[in-house]
Amino acid sequence: MNFDIRMPRRSILKGIGAAGAGSFLGGGAIRPLYAQSVAPITIVINQSPWFESFRRTVEAYEAATGNKVELDVNPFAGSLEKQRNSVRASEGQYDILIMNSGWFTEMYAGGFVEAITDIDPGFKLDPEVYTLGDTVYYNAEKKTVTADGKLMSVPISPLIPMLYYRGDLYREAGLQAPKTFADLEANARKFHNPPDIYGIVQRGARGPHTVAYDFYPYLYGHGGGIFKDQSSGDYSVTLNSPEGREALDYYIRLAREAGHPKTAASDQAEVIQAMVTGHAAHIMMVIAAWSQMDDPNKSAVVDKVEWAPPPSLEGLPTAPGLGHWLGGISKNVPDDRKRAAVEFLRWFQTKEAQLETAKAGGIPVHAAVYREPIADERKYRWMKPLAEALPHSVNIYQFPEASEVIAILELGLNRAIAGEITSVDSLNGMADQIHKVMAGHSYDTGALEPLK
Amino acid sequence: MTSVRTTEVRAVRGAHRRDVIEGADQRLWQWLTFAPALAMMLALSILPLANLFVTSFQDVAWVEGQPVRSWAGLTHYRALFDDELFGAGITNTVLFAFGAVTGQMVIGFALAVLCSKIGRGRVFYRAIFILPILIPGIVIGAIWKLMLNYDFGLANKLLGFVGIMPHDWLGSAETALLSVIIVDIWHWTPFCFLLFLAGVESLPQDVFEAAKIDGAGAWQELRYITLPLMIPTIIVTSAFRLILAFKVFDEVYLLTSGGPGTATEVISFTLYQRFFTEDKAGYGSAMSVAVIFLVSMLLVVALSARRRSEAAQ
Repeated sequence: MNFDIRMPRRSILKGIGAAGAGSFLGGGAIRPLYAQSVAPITIVINQSPWFESFRRTVEAYEAATGNKVELDVNPFAGSLEKQRNSVRASEGQYDILIMNSGWFTEMYAGGFVEAITDIDPGFKLDPEVYTLGDTVYYNAEKKTVTADGKLMSVPISPLIPMLYYRGDLYREAGLQAPKTFADLEANARKFHNPPDIYGIVQRGARGPHTVAYDFYPYLYGHGGGIFKDQSSGDYSVTLNSPEGREALDYYIRLAREAGHPKTAASDQAEVIQAMVTGHAAHIMMVIAAWSQMDDPNKSAVVDKVEWAPPPSLEGLPTAPGLGHWLGGISKNVPDDRKRAAVEFLRWFQTKEAQLETAKAGGIPVHAAVYREPIADERKYRWMKPLAEALPHSVNIYQFPEASEVIAILELGLNRAIAGEITSVDSLNGMADQIHKVMAGHSYDTGALEPLK
Repeated sequence: MTSVRTTEVRAVRGAHRRDVIEGADQRLWQWLTFAPALAMMLALSILPLANLFVTSFQDVAWVEGQPVRSWAGLTHYRALFDDELFGAGITNTVLFAFGAVTGQMVIGFALAVLCSKIGRGRVFYRAIFILPILIPGIVIGAIWKLMLNYDFGLANKLLGFVGIMPHDWLGSAETALLSVIIVDIWHWTPFCFLLFLAGVESLPQDVFEAAKIDGAGAWQELRYITLPLMIPTIIVTSAFRLILAFKVFDEVYLLTSGGPGTATEVISFTLYQRFFTEDKAGYGSAMSVAVIFLVSMLLVVALSARRRSEAAQ
């Protein structure tokens, strides 16, 4: 069959110009020549320091497979609200929910997330992917977040707090990275010279999950905890134990004697700001903020910051609280979109994809990436300490009503740090309120004798 | 003669009956045309409130992706009295509302009176004075967060020039609420200014001229003429502002998140926390009903005050 197509020369030139402009305006990403193999999906996600790396990883997925992914980006609290609205509708808007450690159990227990292995029985989680306190599993019968449950999600960002410290100051002083709380306190006091530099800047403000998240490494690193044993269903409140008191006293002492005078009002942005402007010798901050330290446009301490696992008491392991993100698939979306979501997660968990994530500034969820040559590069000097800390990370909440407990902790801890009440009154008050919450939801709970 | 009169009477009765029927038709027609608007108003305002009220007596849980409602009786209302945040929220909201509105009324009134006396540049001053009300709340949060920053805020820099140590305006329990009140005064004074200016400019000038002839000074003019004549405007403005101040949320959310401790906890923020963050639909609804009741009471008090003032005049 012959086609005699005659086009005016001007039209041909216009067409070439338009194609060129289109590829230029398309952001330079080279699209594959083959068509997409699965339905387009939408992911609801929060705007966090690691978001840019996730966006670039998604672009890599689209380029590699031709599949389409739309991102719905929101503030932290807005993302939760959108997820709730979507999963409670007759048909969901979002196929993949990027769930925070503070609310993933709400999604599991409420029946809003479909087990990945129910959508695709052949799906296997890569054995090298961190399961982060087994939070990717849920046992619906026992209502526990344990490995004997179904695979509900794939880790998206294994965020935990790490100790950021000024390596240049440590080298000048001939010090080693602190491993114990005693080391941290001694070093913070040594460098404390306000208002030029504060020994440590802590995140003591009241917020959605602010001061409580900052306090977890101190609490668990002192051998304390909020509940006795969540995995076995024992929700006895142990917050006001002697270990809990020691941890809170330590946190407050550090703030008052070697910390920033506005600790009770400092949120994440202010803590990071203190470090990048050179006004903090130490901060305990989620690892996702690493890229800001070496960004010459944002930081006055380029190449001066080092990382270490959060300190702990002598003889106890480091115990960073999980503040991670998981990707789960909505139950109330059409089957073709569920299958497409599985394909994305299958690709996302591979070592190759996670290497892309790391290069884009993200935090890999695949253990093998931390053994790659990239982990030896100066730019990625946070990777080895992070790999050291991740196996010790603690899943703080295994029940759907976690947000009620977090609100109690946020207020009680903030009041103690602000000096409104004593640490003993704060711990006893919080423990009492948490006990009431757990009893109100019919959990097997109990309480310790109040601290005196 | 008799038959003529009978005919006239019949005609009058017939006309009357026609009027009655036409009147009834008209009323029916009025109701029919009004009905869609009434139904829409009921659907948009009464039904959501009724739903909120019913939910306030329930617990809502989610099982297998479906809501499960259970009867809770008065549990949520009783729990309000034990809620530390609710108590602090009510107290701080009252302090905030009266503190902020008083400041706005005084400054707004002063500016309006001064502006009404200015001959040249009135438009310029008016534009400058109303500027803050045009700025989005989120920008106001950013402006004042920077202004009150401990390390590099303008407020502490100014203190530094006169040798005073920096102060943690938003992080100290002593000054956090006051700081938020100052921000609110800055934000909402233009609202009062605009209403007062309209009121002052519409006052009858012959009264002022008569006072001048009688030898009244500027203070006497203000005290005995302007203020009494402005009472209805002052009541309406303060009622509007009090109701809006009771609903304050954005400034607290952006500047302090209710902290430190409960120093700036306001009722809208507590409601946000309990209803949205903690997802307690039943308890949050009970708190909402309580807040609606309190604001309604405020409105009733304000309206009756205005009625009394008008009756007195």
